[in-house]
Amino acid sequence: MSTVIKAEAKLQSLGEITPARRAGVIYRNDENNQFQSDIKSELNTVLYVGEGATKTNFEITDDDRGMRWIVLEDGEFNDLVSSVYTVGNAIGMNGGSDNLLAAVFELYFTGTVEDNTYRSGLRTYWIYRYDRKSFYPFVPTGDNEGERDRPTEARLGQDLRKHGLAIEKSLTEWMGLWGIPF
Amino acid sequence: MYFTMFMLGFLYALFALFLMAAGMQLIFIGGIVGVMVVVQYYMSDRLILMSTGAKEVSAAEQPELHRMVKLLADRYEMPMPKVAVIDTAIPNAFATGRNPKNALVAVTTGIQQRLNERELQAVIGHELAHVANRDMRVLAIANFLVTVTSFLMTMLFWNMLFGGMGGRRDNNGGVVMVVYFVTIIVYFIGQLLVLALTRYREYGADHTGAEISGDPGRLADALEKISGTVNTIPDKDLRKLQTANAFLIIPAALKGEGSMNLFSTHPPLEERVKRLRELEQRMRYGLR
Repeated sequence: MSTVIKAEAKLQSLGEITPARRAGVIYRNDENNQFQSDIKSELNTVLYVGEGATKTNFEITDDDRGMRWIVLEDGEFNDLVSSVYTVGNAIGMNGGSDNLLAAVFELYFTGTVEDNTYRSGLRTYWIYRYDRKSFYPFVPTGDNEGERDRPTEARLGQDLRKHGLAIEKSLTEWMGLWGIPF
Repeated sequence: MYFTMFMLGFLYALFALFLMAAGMQLIFIGGIVGVMVVVQYYMSDRLILMSTGAKEVSAAEQPELHRMVKLLADRYEMPMPKVAVIDTAIPNAFATGRNPKNALVAVTTGIQQRLNERELQAVIGHELAHVANRDMRVLAIANFLVTVTSFLMTMLFWNMLFGGMGGRRDNNGGVVMVVYFVTIIVYFIGQLLVLALTRYREYGADHTGAEISGDPGRLADALEKISGTVNTIPDKDLRKLQTANAFLIIPAALKGEGSMNLFSTHPPLEERVKRLRELEQRMRYGLR
């Protein structure tokens, strides 16, 4: 996860992206899992108690596809990344590693794409798939499945890989998440 | 390769012995697994057709494709397989079937559009090599263990939760626990072996395919061309990926594991391309 911070810092210094304040962890909620059924109080402990706690704001949302999102908000990108890591870790360590789907970061793209268009303030997401332990960019162009900006994603993917992020090598695994609740 | 096969067989035997020692109802387990294996084994081509939306095409509909498959099948000295096309922009190809007589080879419209004739020929050569090498059969056997153990894992888990099936509550809770943990261990070792096995099979098909088509470089070209293209970024939502399929036993067959996909993630594509390029060099200069 620290590679996220490095890659982000590098791209930001190049003027290609600006981080947003939000990120999320998506997982398949399991009512039989003790930790997941007490998620709110558990996360309050994990994120707020103890020295070095990031005190990141969080919200719990269920989407219409039966998935649960922990939406995190923090002005400090480093804290945001570390909170995402902590939340994913906490769910995984408490019997939920098979439930974890992805961690998602929101960032704004201000670079130039192959077709030489300058896309200022384009909303992008960096998706981390827990099952494949790799990242890939996601740039939705609409709420319907399949609506995405593939050239920008490919371009961003190359840049992210260049700056040390473990980018998913197989493009066929770059599955989207339409209707991200943040 | 042979070591992996040996290890798999060894693991099976050990596992069977262990289950018997633990007094599991083998008939019950065997019945369900048997049905599952038979379905996967004898219907894999139909299952794949159903689950991927592939449509069988006749020689009249796709003369070029049929000619190409026929040419390669002749070189392998195998009967003409069924030919199918999947209407999707995502470039891919696969073969399935328990033996050359029941083989099916499918390509997507995306791969037809993107590759030139020699590249497509190399890809089909690779797929037919899987058929010729009887890879689907090997894989079915390998998947068997993983299927049995994942099924047992689920069953034993519920068994522990609700205490014994059929109301028979002897003092055997401890035995069930031990069986459960051994099952988990066997499951993971089995999966590792399946991965190792598919890796060898993939290299093997690259090699056999290259010998038949005499053109390893074109397969390398095709792999590189396709894997890097923007159009391979899918339309699919990540949430459709079923991670929680612990309660199903059929998905292994439905997820296409009964077929040999051109882009299996093991081994990594880079390594396959590297080996193909080396093979090309050796073939060109007659080195061995």
